[in-house]
Amino acid sequence: MATVLRSRCAFARLFAGKTGQILNNSIDLGIKSAPESLSATSVTRHYSSYSKSPFADKITEQYNYEIVKNPPEWTYVERLLPFETIPQVKPKDSYPSGWVPPKEEASNHPYFMRRTKNHEVPIYLNLYDRGQRKITKLKRIEGDIWSMNDEIKSLLEKKANKYVETRVHELGTFIEVKGDYVNELKEWALSKGF
Amino acid sequence: MGSRQITEKSLSMLRSLPRISLSNLRDNPGSKKTSKRGRAQHGGDKHGAGNKGSGQRQNYMRLGYETGNNPFYLRVPQEHYYRGHHLRRQYPPLSLLQLQHIIDKDRVDINKPIDIASIVKTGTYNFYPDQKHFGINLTDEGIDIFKAKINIEVQWASEQVIAAIERNGGVITTAYYDPHSLYLLKNPKKFFESGQAIPRRMIPPPDAIEYYTNPENRGYLADPDKVSEERLKLAQKYGYQLPNIESDPEYSMFCERKDPRQIFFGLEPGWVVNLKDKFILKPKDEELLQYYSA
Repeated sequence: MATVLRSRCAFARLFAGKTGQILNNSIDLGIKSAPESLSATSVTRHYSSYSKSPFADKITEQYNYEIVKNPPEWTYVERLLPFETIPQVKPKDSYPSGWVPPKEEASNHPYFMRRTKNHEVPIYLNLYDRGQRKITKLKRIEGDIWSMNDEIKSLLEKKANKYVETRVHELGTFIEVKGDYVNELKEWALSKGF
Repeated sequence: MGSRQITEKSLSMLRSLPRISLSNLRDNPGSKKTSKRGRAQHGGDKHGAGNKGSGQRQNYMRLGYETGNNPFYLRVPQEHYYRGHHLRRQYPPLSLLQLQHIIDKDRVDINKPIDIASIVKTGTYNFYPDQKHFGINLTDEGIDIFKAKINIEVQWASEQVIAAIERNGGVITTAYYDPHSLYLLKNPKKFFESGQAIPRRMIPPPDAIEYYTNPENRGYLADPDKVSEERLKLAQKYGYQLPNIESDPEYSMFCERKDPRQIFFGLEPGWVVNLKDKFILKPKDEELLQYYSA
């Protein structure tokens, strides 16, 4: 593909656009090779850039195309397009993967924990000092963060049978717990309905 | 309005609004200015990182480096079975547990055939065709909890995984895509916007043909009669009753397969998709039709 002619005709550009980059099947310019019309004008001249090259005139559309409006196959195209937003989960009878939907009763507590955009409970394990220091972080807490802190602290102390250090950031709406308690806290959050 | 009214109105507003937190707190517009480089006493200091060395550069030594010694990984003999690993086809894993998870969260529609495009669309599968990734290896993690009934097309699957899907009344196919087709499947929108005609899918390379023609692997080039025979054999081997998909109400969906030359479901090679005007341009020229059907 020695030259790509610029064309005012958008239809011809459908093919001529980026063929060199992407088509591995074949280089297909959309115009059949008609050497006598092209070779005399275009081969000798090299333009400094693509944008400076003149528009090519008189390109004859030699390939026959049918333009289908409202095609029945459009559902297959729509299926391939990316989601505009993350889809909401429709209620189902069971969730075999172990994912649990948030429950109504979650709003009965003095505190609340919003799910993330991916419909997960916002409890994470953060590693610091090259994995030496493990901090469990509970995020997106609304309402009375201090009563939630008291509750998880007493719960974890009972489970781990030792003192558990926590840190409340009221303005940042998160609680940090020293140690890896992600599974315990996730279980607790799901039992509360968050 | 007097100032008292304003105060009371603001207070009542504050009471009804959610509590101020870092997630809803903003500076007044224009109140912040990015500071310039400091020029005073500690302006050009090292910011606590010290002078030179590891502290400043955070250059923790690379894994296996023994400060100049002949390192262990070079001291021992080479492992020749890794030779050429950078040229081999990679199939990044997707487990049945992950698949069930995205099905539960409605990221994929199980009422339609699932292929690599719909898996990549969920955003839960990291897939880079330029890093020799050739598609999905469906692995057996979560094999016991897997309950979905699906028509799925992957690039690699083990015998247990095939059995797990067919036991639930589903259908699995293993299919090969050349890297160029995988780029299109990874981001179909970008391809459609480029305004090019959908190319043909290439046939597998010689060393992959055996896998994809084998009915035991449910290869897409295998004889369909032999595949149904193998389905029955596998059911007997693993001891489950093979559900009769012919009597299924969605039998037509379970029969949907791509042509070996087709990249997208329902769209044929040679077509140009115009996303803006919602047109599809179909070739009528004899030469093109011959080329794309070859």
